[in-house]
Amino acid sequence: MSAGDFYFAINATFRFIHDTWGKEALISYWTSMAREYHAGVAARFQEGGLDEVQRYWADYFAHEPGGDVQVSQSQGAVEIDVRECPAIRWLKDGCREIVPYYCAHCHYVSTAIADQAGMRFRLEGGGGVCHQTFYHGEG
Amino acid sequence: MIGVQDFIGYYDWTFEYLRRSYGEQAVRDYWVRAISQDSQIHARELIGGKGFDGMYEYWAHTLEMEEAGYTFDRGEDYFRIDMFDCPSKGHLIRRGLAAYHDYCEHCMGWVKPLMDDAGFVINHEHNHAGQCWWEMRRAADLVEAPPPVGGSHDVRLLPQWPQEKHDLFLNSERVEDDDGV
Repeated sequence: MSAGDFYFAINATFRFIHDTWGKEALISYWTSMAREYHAGVAARFQEGGLDEVQRYWADYFAHEPGGDVQVSQSQGAVEIDVRECPAIRWLKDGCREIVPYYCAHCHYVSTAIADQAGMRFRLEGGGGVCHQTFYHGEG
Repeated sequence: MIGVQDFIGYYDWTFEYLRRSYGEQAVRDYWVRAISQDSQIHARELIGGKGFDGMYEYWAHTLEMEEAGYTFDRGEDYFRIDMFDCPSKGHLIRRGLAAYHDYCEHCMGWVKPLMDDAGFVINHEHNHAGQCWWEMRRAADLVEAPPPVGGSHDVRLLPQWPQEKHDLFLNSERVEDDDGV
């Protein structure tokens, strides 16, 4: 079981870095985390390709508390259909003030992971409902 | 997405990132402002409003959620936790993660300011191996020494309790070793 209250700390961490050092510092934090802490994930994606991307995210969202996320692969891309984001749901249920740039971390972290793996990443939507795509090439 | 299932790993990584980017004081500020005063406002509300009852309510919820190994003890004048399997430090040990030089310090980093504001003092010791004890008392109820070892649940009775490095806090202040560390 995951401790959903950790979403409170993630939200607070983003606010602390943003309010103390600014937006660029927060982006640097996200991209550094992706390049360092998530280097192993990028290596898995590079080695295993889109099949591994699909496996990773399907397993990842299955172990987050709540949410409604479908992960599929078709036409050279892995599609992550976030119908209800577990983080946004938990924060809303906890009556927390969600930082307005919360969803941007998915863009910056996953773009940096994809970049290391020789892939591309696209994020559409936000606020608890979004569509994320990992793919090869210019697409 | 940054989720909660591997939160402890990048929590530890974040401490080290802040230290190397902005200095050690930034890590301390992070524990106070981001964790104690923002993330853990629910703990502040419970403990500030209900005292020892709030401590029980908060830690019973959070330690169950984190699947910790622990016992509680309560008296008129104290609330005590014996942690024999810290889920947080245990996660790092099992995965060989140690980005920041003193992960365990974060607990006092956020709990002490909360207890200061709520009118309690902390007596606490951890062994950097996933075991620790905590005893919260009212602010005026100061002690001169750690409580004597007692009761079958006292974490200090465990064979793994002795470790090379321990950190001890009495009345919410660090007790320095004879050599000043």
